[in-house]
Amino acid sequence: MSVTPQQEEFRERAVLRDASADGTTIRQTSLWRDAWHRYRANKAAVVAAVLFVLMLLYVTFIPIFPTGDPYAVDFAQAYLPMSWDHPFGTDQFGRDLFTRVALGGRVSIGIGFAATIAIMGIGILYGSISGFIGGRLDNSMMRFLDALYGLPYLPFAIIVTQLFRVVDFWVMVIALTIASWFTAARVVRGQIITLKENDYVRAARAVGARWYRILGRHLLPNTLGVLIVFVFLELPGVILGEAFLSFIGLGINPPKASWGSLAQDGRDVYLSHPSIILFPSLAIAYLIICAFFIADGLRDALDPRTRET
Amino acid sequence: MTKFIIRRLLWTIPVLLLVVLFTFLMMRQIKGNPFRKTERAVPASIQRNLDRKFHLDQPWYVQYGEYVKGVFTADLGPSLVLRNQSVNDIVKSHFPVSLELGALAFLFAIVVGIPLGVLAALRANKPTDYVAMLVANIGFAVPSFLVATLLIYYCSVKWNIGLPTSGWSTWQSKILPSIALGFLPMAYFARLVRGTMLETLQQDYVRTARAKGLRWRRVVGLHVLRNSLIPVVTAAGPLLGGVITGSFIIESIFAIPGIGRYYVNSVTARDYSVTMGLTILYAVIVIFANLVVDILYGFLDPRTREARA
Repeated sequence: MSVTPQQEEFRERAVLRDASADGTTIRQTSLWRDAWHRYRANKAAVVAAVLFVLMLLYVTFIPIFPTGDPYAVDFAQAYLPMSWDHPFGTDQFGRDLFTRVALGGRVSIGIGFAATIAIMGIGILYGSISGFIGGRLDNSMMRFLDALYGLPYLPFAIIVTQLFRVVDFWVMVIALTIASWFTAARVVRGQIITLKENDYVRAARAVGARWYRILGRHLLPNTLGVLIVFVFLELPGVILGEAFLSFIGLGINPPKASWGSLAQDGRDVYLSHPSIILFPSLAIAYLIICAFFIADGLRDALDPRTRET
Repeated sequence: MTKFIIRRLLWTIPVLLLVVLFTFLMMRQIKGNPFRKTERAVPASIQRNLDRKFHLDQPWYVQYGEYVKGVFTADLGPSLVLRNQSVNDIVKSHFPVSLELGALAFLFAIVVGIPLGVLAALRANKPTDYVAMLVANIGFAVPSFLVATLLIYYCSVKWNIGLPTSGWSTWQSKILPSIALGFLPMAYFARLVRGTMLETLQQDYVRTARAKGLRWRRVVGLHVLRNSLIPVVTAAGPLLGGVITGSFIIESIFAIPGIGRYYVNSVTARDYSVTMGLTILYAVIVIFANLVVDILYGFLDPRTREARA
């Protein structure tokens, strides 16, 4: 039987332990520490991660310590330019834009992550059933998925939102999830199918491991790397989708606002006051670029295929 | 090959049926009714006649059967809200505009995106590459409504180079919307081509071609480019579908009389038959785009013919 990566790793660890016995300290490297080293080597990814955390801090703390009331309507304060008191100026109702963009960010990022996690959840469930059981079931489940690819993304999400009386945070999450879980399921299934053929899975089967142990212990943990990358690849699409729906007025209902609906507020006055559409849109672009470079770094760090080369 | 095409064509029928069923069932779940607004309450007898006219008094499977018959005979039924207009009328008069917009945007994406990616790959990690990838990343992250707004702001207002910002009549009026809509797929193509070209450049057959003294230009044109464009074909199907079905934001910003505006209006007016008919039209476009890509792919890469059906 050929030597599996696990056995090799085990042997290396044993060597490391023996080497440290003579007084020199050699730290063991784990998979995650390895990944962390590789991630740090990618400078763009590190910068993106720092900027991403900054954005999270901004949307978390600015609404707690606001630079102005985000809801109070005061027409005397309308359309103020950028200043120390109002870093992004104010909107047509005199509301502080810096605080409103932070609040919108909570909604947009929240919907983005919630929908992405839901997409992953459904994808893991569907993909691992299909890939693990295989055969006829796999075939028909994949055919069904092929058919779903015929559904147009945004129109379908719109129809789902219409099933509910009020479009709120969770309705958006549900709509975006239903309209875009297919790719995740395919990715998971592809991973499971390739991993299933590995020797350590056969070995586990040979010693009598039950199916849930093989799936939970050997297959799913090995897909984790790919899935983490996928989260950051999926996030931009979800956030953009939400922004589009909100921008045409079919998104989250007021008074709640997301970046998309904030941008919509500035749509009719962009000639005289471009900042109102600019700042929420740039916030979207900022987040998407961050997610992109983070995904890039994570792929280098976690994806076993690029790791070998 | 003919067998492959026929099988692939036949496969679209169950896909279409499933998509129609999905849309149909979802639309039935939507609460509210265009005729049952409280301020426009009608006598029971008229209500019955209305129901009969639109087959609302039949059980759902009869309605579904009628509808499927309509879809396959290209009759999408009457509009429930717009008097004396059928969904077919709306499609006939406004869909060509949307189709043209999508095609022009896609053309822009290919004509600009692919050379940009090729250039970036040939000058990898040099200033040209950085500039090209900066453009691509911006195109990827900035939502199309901001791209459109900036284009209008700069091209028509600030610098005033005489491009109209609304309507869809002269060729000048088609430039800005096409660029705005094509920006995202352009960025996508650029990134994709750069990635696959860098991979192809490292293949053995490229080294062989170089070693036997083939001129560099010929190597790139003959070996590298051709093999790098296969993934582009794969991506083109969903992107083309996305461009056509996602154009309603651009259509509303530039006041283009396309189908997207009707779609959004029909959703807010609860004009089910229009929403449903247009959703199915969108689905047909997506299915058709995927079909064309699959067949093209079968020509480009013979290995896929047996694997897919």
